[in-house]
Amino acid sequence: MVAVQEKQDWQAVIQDMEAVIDPNNVIRRKEELLVYECDGLTSYKQRPAVVVLPRTTEEVAAAVKVCDRHNIPFVARGAGTGLSGGALPLENSVLIVTAMMKQILDVDLENQRVVVQPGVINNWVTQAVSGGGFFYAPDPSSQIICSIGGNVAENSGGVHCLKYGVTTNHVLALKIVTPDGSIVDIGGPVPEMPGYDLPGIFVGSEGTLGLATEVTLRIVKTPDVIRVLLADFTSIEAAGQSVSDIISAGIIPGGMEIMDNFSINAVEDVVSTNCYPRDATAILLVELDGLEVEVAAASEKVEAICRKNGARQIQSATDPQERLALWKGRKAAFAAVGKISPDYYVQDGVVPRSKLPEILEEIEALSQRSGYRIANVFHAGDGNLHPLILYNNAVPGELEKVEEVGGEILKLCVKKGGTISGEHGIGADKRCYMPELFNETDLETMLWVRDVFDPKRVANPDKIFPTPKTCGEAARAQAQKEFPNTERF
Amino acid sequence: MGAIASQIESIIGTAGITAWSELPAEQRQHYEGAIAPGTLPEYMICPDSQEALAEVVAWAHRDGISLLPCGSGSKLDWGKLTEGIQVILSTERLNRLVEHATGDMVVIAEAGLPFADLQAALAPTNQFLSLDPAYPERATLGGIVATADSGALRQRYGGVRDLLIGISFVRADGQVARGGGKVVKNVAGYDLMKLMTGAYGTLGVLSQLIFRTYPLPEAGATVVAVGDGEAIAQLTQSILLSSLTPTALELLAPVTTQSLGLESSASNNFGLLVRFQSIPASVEQQSASVRKQAESVGLATTLLQDAAEADLWKRLREKWDEPAHSDAITCKMGVRPTRAIELLSALEKLEDVQPTLATLHAGSGLGYLHLPADASPSILQQIRQLCETHSGYLTIQRAPVPLKQSFDIWGIRSETLPLMQGLKQRFDSQNLLSPGRML
Ligand SMILES: Cc1cc2nc3c(=O)[nH]c(=O)nc-3n(C[C@H](O)[C@H](O)[C@H](O)COP(=O)(O)OP(=O)(O)OC[C@H]3O[C@@H](n4cnc5c(N)ncnc54)[C@H](O)[C@@H]3O)c2cc1C
Repeated sequence: MVAVQEKQDWQAVIQDMEAVIDPNNVIRRKEELLVYECDGLTSYKQRPAVVVLPRTTEEVAAAVKVCDRHNIPFVARGAGTGLSGGALPLENSVLIVTAMMKQILDVDLENQRVVVQPGVINNWVTQAVSGGGFFYAPDPSSQIICSIGGNVAENSGGVHCLKYGVTTNHVLALKIVTPDGSIVDIGGPVPEMPGYDLPGIFVGSEGTLGLATEVTLRIVKTPDVIRVLLADFTSIEAAGQSVSDIISAGIIPGGMEIMDNFSINAVEDVVSTNCYPRDATAILLVELDGLEVEVAAASEKVEAICRKNGARQIQSATDPQERLALWKGRKAAFAAVGKISPDYYVQDGVVPRSKLPEILEEIEALSQRSGYRIANVFHAGDGNLHPLILYNNAVPGELEKVEEVGGEILKLCVKKGGTISGEHGIGADKRCYMPELFNETDLETMLWVRDVFDPKRVANPDKIFPTPKTCGEAARAQAQKEFPNTERF
Repeated sequence: MGAIASQIESIIGTAGITAWSELPAEQRQHYEGAIAPGTLPEYMICPDSQEALAEVVAWAHRDGISLLPCGSGSKLDWGKLTEGIQVILSTERLNRLVEHATGDMVVIAEAGLPFADLQAALAPTNQFLSLDPAYPERATLGGIVATADSGALRQRYGGVRDLLIGISFVRADGQVARGGGKVVKNVAGYDLMKLMTGAYGTLGVLSQLIFRTYPLPEAGATVVAVGDGEAIAQLTQSILLSSLTPTALELLAPVTTQSLGLESSASNNFGLLVRFQSIPASVEQQSASVRKQAESVGLATTLLQDAAEADLWKRLREKWDEPAHSDAITCKMGVRPTRAIELLSALEKLEDVQPTLATLHAGSGLGYLHLPADASPSILQQIRQLCETHSGYLTIQRAPVPLKQSFDIWGIRSETLPLMQGLKQRFDSQNLLSPGRML
């Protein structure tokens, strides 16, 4: 563990940084540091001591070496859209931002591989290859703003990962800078390189094993036909049942999403797409892709399943514009809820698909009990829930209560055989819930991996893993529950 | 009865402990294939529960006993020779199917469950584990994960790493650790599944595995195209750049085309197997499209369906698993996909050695190569060089003992070694799990 010195000589650190990185890209003025205080989880804020914006792998390595020499921790940051506080700085840390590393280094359509710098925005990859009839499959809803480096660190998913898999299934190789400043190439342009699967371990490690400075991605051929079906239901269970039935029928849609009545209306109010019926209790969006015959056969089956489960209307579209219109509301759902409520807290739990109806009922009960509105928009196909808990941060104490409600949801997910994060990561936000899922041995085993990459624990410390110090608050919340009549501070 | 036996008996009872000398000769010979000459194990232990397995490993840890973890032992002759093994630790009796969550398309099974048994149990629900590994009748799930072994289906479903969503294993110190879970989407904690996949039993003893399953396809057919290497390369490329969705796309060097009896009369016998599995109409349409493309570049084609199709893939699997000569050198190789035919041609033209099999998955560039037992280290080095110049690698799986002892059979890139050695050291500081098998 690094013992962060009380009096770090930041002047010396800055000088050393300026020797290896263009001084214009070494940021230390308070007002300029402000934008780096938090990521997409804005309830946690911490100003870093210094921010550096390297342009190359070598500059990243040099910056990390400066940190190593001065014995100070560093935190990687991509676009800062993370929702678990993964890029939240520490007070005495250097924030290494990849925003100047935005080059697509190689596009190799014939081998279906693309090499990019980590600051490249997710959907630039698809843009770079769509002319050749390819796409990059992992498509987080934030795809027009989030970086590939962030995707790698969080093992991000998206609407299409039901069929195509998440980030880890698309990363072949990485150039990484380890926490001592060494540059190592792991993986290769060919999968299953001999030896341990280092890219497999690095993807999803949330910046705690070092920084990725080059990423080799696998791209996928665009299907011939894509059809989106929109079915509306008078009960959310019926929508959930349709999801199970579709999968049981041997169909693997490109994506399968559910929105509840509250989200439907939020979207209709804000983006007014006029395609989601306001009185529906739930809508189910199913995207089918493949050859024309396959899509035709599958959509017939999907329609029949939805009708059997009581769908009122089913719309469908294959034309790109019309498809986009059907998806528009789903893509805008978070933003729409954000306009309706002063603040919202996104949760990211997963349950086995078959448990969807149960968990939704329990979330509804939790909403009633706690008095907080909870909107549900989620990746139904893989049981990945995104309950949005609406609240007002201006009211003192609300955030804490809402976090507790979020925590309850996670515990429910674990109880049903699920997990506490499907795609947003553990970060700073959820590490205190890790013991719900993993015992001490499991966590210790994961830390063994960390010991190898980051023996000094300087790479994004205080993330993922619970520590007695940082999880004191959760322990207090626990105590509150056990002693409900004690005062809250 | 030795000291080891009495200690082990006190942990797991007498069942599941066999003295080395009491194992059938054939079995002994088989295990010897994994062990450097000079020492022999004393016992084979087969615990029948995760708890018993953990206790055995904990005991070994306490007493500094080195272990060779295995399942049915079908691939023990892959990898480097292990040193000083005292106990062969098999998970064969950990063979329960714990849960098949049909609607969730997830299956939980113990590591010793044979692959074939799992497939048989999944089939009535129209699901399967989308792997096509070596020795499908004997291989256990644990062995398949430990060697990251699959086959041509990688084209559609990816490798073992893409299907394994949860894991339990016994660490070198005898504690049971878990990673992942039973939902397909899960980013909580490090991905220990990936770490253990392909680790050859050097980091822990697998005890329970959770996989995602896929629906069994309704119909299938395979187009066999044979002819000139360049035409095959052209066809392959046009399939990969089209929106066709083969589940397997397998390139065959002439020697393999011939050994499968697929050669056309011409002298040029590169082959491509294009397998489609989907609804009947799609299979028909895609197969027809490929045949047309193939014929337009001068390739002879045949369409195999039903039993004939199944038979072809079964025979290819047998070719991979049972080399023409039992002492052959078998290799796994990788190459940038566009260089696949170039590599196969170069292998064909090697002066001092005649491969007896060479195939590559066209999409990923992974493949297999068999060489006669007398292929020299310098030839192997030359082949490795060929693969590496095309951004790939060559790993030797089976080889005569002297070769395994003198040649760097893995071909791990040296810059990654410190991290890998660090992992081995941290996970097994006494070097008791398959010592020497990988690093
Ligand atoms: C509106 C909205 C919708 C979203 N929808 C989705 C969704 O559908 N699916 C999904 O998965 N996520 C979603 N997210 C979350 C977020 O966009 C993803 O987690 C994304 O991958 C973060 O990328 P980023 O570049 O913003 O990373 P940041 O937030 O900057 O960082 C995230 C983590 O990555 C680390 N990191 C960044 N770059 C590197 C690097 N080069 N090397 C090592 N570590 C690095 C950081 O230290 C941090 O731990 C959404 C977010 C928003 C705001």
